[in-house]
Amino acid sequence: MKVTIKSWTGVATWRWIANDENCGICRMSFESTCPECALPGDDCPLVWGVCSHCFHMHCIVKWLNLQPLNKQCPMCRQSWKFNVH
Amino acid sequence: MCDFDALWADVLRIFPVLGGANAISNDPVEENVFQNVRQHLMMLGSIDTFAALVDLEIQSTIRNVLVPKFWKHIHDCLVSSKLQGWINDQALAIEALPDKNGLFTKFIDAINELHDSFQSLMQVKPRLIQLVGAETKPAGKTVKLMQEDGIKNSLRDCLLAQLPPNFSVVVGAFYWVHFKLFTKASNLALTTVDSDVFDELLCVGCNFEAEQCCCQRLTNMVNKTNMKLFEMNLIDRLTGSALTALIKLKIKEHISDTCMGIFDRSHLKQLETWLSDVIMSWLTNIFTEWKSKDSITDIEVPESVKSFKVKLTYFMYETFAQSVIGQFFSIIIDYPDSIPAIDDLKICMEKIDMRVYLTESLRSSLEARILHPGVNTMDILTGYVAAIKAIRHLDSTGVILEMVTAPIKDYLRKRNDTVRRVVTGLTEEGPTDLSEELAKGETIKECKDSGTDEFSNWENWQPDPFGIDASIMQYNSSRKMRSADIISMVVDIYGSKELFMTEYRNLMADRLLAQLDFNSEKEIRNLELLKIRFGESLLHSCEVMLKDVTDSKRINAHIHSDGDRTDNQLFDISSLIVSAQFWPSFNKESLQLPEEIENEFKKYTKAFEAYKGNRTLNWRTVTGRVNIEIEIGDRTMEMVVSPILAVIIYHFQNKNEWAIEDLSSITKVPASALRRRLSFWQNHGLISETTPGIFTLLEKESEKSQYEDMSLAEADEEDLESAMASASDQREEELQVFWSYIVGMLTNLDSMPIDRIHQMLKLFASHSGGVEFTQDELKHFLQRKVREHKLIFSGGVYQLAK
Repeated sequence: MKVTIKSWTGVATWRWIANDENCGICRMSFESTCPECALPGDDCPLVWGVCSHCFHMHCIVKWLNLQPLNKQCPMCRQSWKFNVH
Repeated sequence: MCDFDALWADVLRIFPVLGGANAISNDPVEENVFQNVRQHLMMLGSIDTFAALVDLEIQSTIRNVLVPKFWKHIHDCLVSSKLQGWINDQALAIEALPDKNGLFTKFIDAINELHDSFQSLMQVKPRLIQLVGAETKPAGKTVKLMQEDGIKNSLRDCLLAQLPPNFSVVVGAFYWVHFKLFTKASNLALTTVDSDVFDELLCVGCNFEAEQCCCQRLTNMVNKTNMKLFEMNLIDRLTGSALTALIKLKIKEHISDTCMGIFDRSHLKQLETWLSDVIMSWLTNIFTEWKSKDSITDIEVPESVKSFKVKLTYFMYETFAQSVIGQFFSIIIDYPDSIPAIDDLKICMEKIDMRVYLTESLRSSLEARILHPGVNTMDILTGYVAAIKAIRHLDSTGVILEMVTAPIKDYLRKRNDTVRRVVTGLTEEGPTDLSEELAKGETIKECKDSGTDEFSNWENWQPDPFGIDASIMQYNSSRKMRSADIISMVVDIYGSKELFMTEYRNLMADRLLAQLDFNSEKEIRNLELLKIRFGESLLHSCEVMLKDVTDSKRINAHIHSDGDRTDNQLFDISSLIVSAQFWPSFNKESLQLPEEIENEFKKYTKAFEAYKGNRTLNWRTVTGRVNIEIEIGDRTMEMVVSPILAVIIYHFQNKNEWAIEDLSSITKVPASALRRRLSFWQNHGLISETTPGIFTLLEKESEKSQYEDMSLAEADEEDLESAMASASDQREEELQVFWSYIVGMLTNLDSMPIDRIHQMLKLFASHSGGVEFTQDELKHFLQRKVREHKLIFSGGVYQLAK
C-alpha cells in the first residue's frame, strides 16, 4: 500500500518570538494588542530594545514620549535604543 | 223573601267561578238575570261584600285550580319523556332532548288550556261592572274591584311561585322548534342539495316528509301561543330566561359552525349581520308576529326586544372572543395569514375586557403545545417569534406579550442548546425568521433614554392596560424593553447579549475550522449585520478571527509563490493562522506527526518566519483537512480526511501490523480515541482487528467489495466534531481563578454551604471587576472538585478533603 499526501490544510497559531509573554507596560499578552489597537500582529507590532526587553510598539512609544529627558527602558532603566534586526 | 236557591243559580250563571267549577260558559247572560241579581243584592246591601267575595274566589281559583293544572300538564309531559334528571345543564338538555316535537305540542296544549281558563276569568270583571255599576257607577267602588292587571299579576305570581325547575326545558323545546321553523328558509338557501335528493329528505322545519310538511300549521300554532302568552303578560317572565339560554346556545353553535379554524378573514361583520337578520328578527317575530299588520307599525319593536339585542350582542362578542382566544395558538402559528382573526379579537377586546382570560388561556395552551420535551428547540423558537409578532399586532403596549411569553423564556433558558439554535437561526442561510429579522437591520434603540422620554413625552402618555396583575409586571417593566424588536426579545431570553456573542464566536470558529476554505465573505456579511445590532465591542474577537482568515489566505499565497520552497516538497501545505487570544480556546487533543511530514511543516514555519519577522507558528496538528491518495492492490482511492486518520493510514505504509498501544505511543493519541478513528478505516475495508488490540492492513481485495460504496461523507462527519473547548469548559476555566479563594475560605471556616461561598466570591468578584457567575455554575465547579477528591460534600456543606 502506498499513501500519497496531495495537500494538507492545517491550523496553526502564531506567536511572537520573545523572552516574555506580556507587554511590561500594558500587561496585555504580546499576541493581543495594546489598549489602543483592535487588530493584533502587523497592526500592533512588537519592538525590541537593545536591552533585550520588548513591548508593544505603541506602548513603548507612548512611554518614551512621556519621558522628558532620558529615554529609559521601563523595565531595566537603561537608556532605550531600538534594536533593529 | 226571595228564593235564595234561584238567586244562587242566577249568580252562578253570571259567575261560574263561585261554584268552584272552572267550566267556561260563554253563554251570554240575559240582562234580566243581571237585574234580578243586582236587585236582590242591593236589597241585602251586601254588594261590596259580594264583589270582594268574587275577587277572593278568583284568586283562589288561580292559585288552587289553574296553576296546579297547568303545572301538572308540564310535569306530565316531562315525566312521560323521562326528563326528570335534565335540570342541571339547560343548554345541553335542550340540544339533546329526545322528543322536542312532543314537548312542543304539550306546551301548546298547556298554554291553550291556561289561556281558556284565563279568558273565562277575565269575563268576570266586565260582568261584575255590569252588575254593580250599571246604574250607580260610584267611582270609588269600581276602583276597589279587581283590575284586569290584577288578575294577570296574580296569575303570574302564582305560576312563578310554583315554577318547577325544569320548566325551562319545555319552553326551550318549544322555541327550539319555532326557531327551526323560522330559519327553515335560510337553511334551505344554505344547503345546496340537488332538488331531487332533497325531495326525499324530511322537511328541515317540521321533520315530516316534504309533501306533508306542516310548517305553516305549526307556525300558526306558535304564533297563537305567543299571542296568548303575551295577553296573559307572561312572555317575559315565564319564557325570557329559557329563550335567552336557547339563543345563547344558537349563537355558540353558529360561531363554532362558521368561524372555527378560519383565520384568514374577518367574521365580526358577518356575525353581526347574522345576529340582526336571524336572531333579532326571530325575536321580533315572537313578540310581534301575531299582531295585525297595522298595529306593528305604531308599536314598532318592543322595549324588551331592544334590551335583548344589547344583551345578545354583548354575548355574541364574548363568545366569539372566547372562541378566537381558544384557538389563539393556531392563530399564532399561522401568523401573517391570521391577521384578520387578530383584528377581530382586537375589536372584541375593546368592547369586553378579556385580557386575563386571554393570557391565562394562551399561557396554558402554549405550555401544552410547545413547552415540553417532545418539541425541538428550533420549533419553540419559531413559535416564540410568531407569538411575538402576533401578540404585538394584538396589543402594541407589549404588556400581554410580556406575560404570555414569560413561561416560554423560562423554558428556553432551561434548554442548553437554545443559544446555539438562536445563533444558528441568525446566521443560517435560507429564510428563517431570525435571519430575516437580522437582515432588516433595525438597531436597538439603546441610546434612547426611556426615563427622560417618558417625562418629556407626557402628553402622549398612556396608562398600562388594567386587569393585569401588578406583581407580574414588576420585572422588566420598562417601556424600552417592551418595545424592543424581535431579535432583542430572543436574545433577551438569557438577559445578556454577552452569552449570545460568546456562543456566536464558538460557532463561527467551528465553522471556519470545518470549512478551511479561506472563504469568509458570508461570515463577514453576517458579522456586519450583527455589529449594527449589538455594537462593535462585543464582536471584536469575531472581527479578528475573520481577519485571520483573510490574512492566512494572503500568507499562503505568498509562501506558495516562493520558488525555493516548491522544490523537493512532499506536498502542498496551506494553513489557517489564527490569533489564539481572540479565538475560543482549543480542546487539548494532540497528535504527533510522522517525521517526514513534520519536516514539511517545519519548512512552512521557516517560510512564515522569514515572511513575518520575529513571529513563529505553533501547529495544531489535530485540526485540518488532508487530501490523500491510497494505492492498494490495483485500486486507488482519493479522499479528504482529518489529519489523525491520515496519520494512522500513513503509519500502516511501513508496517502492516500495529498493536494499538504502539500506535498510541507513536502518535500520542490515547488508545480509546485511536480505536474510534481506526474504525473509520475498518469500515473502508483497509484495516481489520485480527486479534484484540492488533490491527492489520488488508492488502487483499476480497473483503473490500461490500464497502466500495462508502462515501466520503463519513470522513466529513468526523470533521464536524468541534475543535474548540465547549463553552462550559471555558467557563470552568474562568472559575478556576477563584479556587484559591475557596480553599482559603474553607481552611478558615471549615465548612460552608454553597450560597455562602457564592456570596463571598461575589464580593471578591465585584472588587476585581471581573467574572460574573451564577450559583449553578459555581455548584457545577464545586461538584467537579468533589469528583476530583479535592472537596467533600456532606450535609449540604462543602469541606476541604483531608
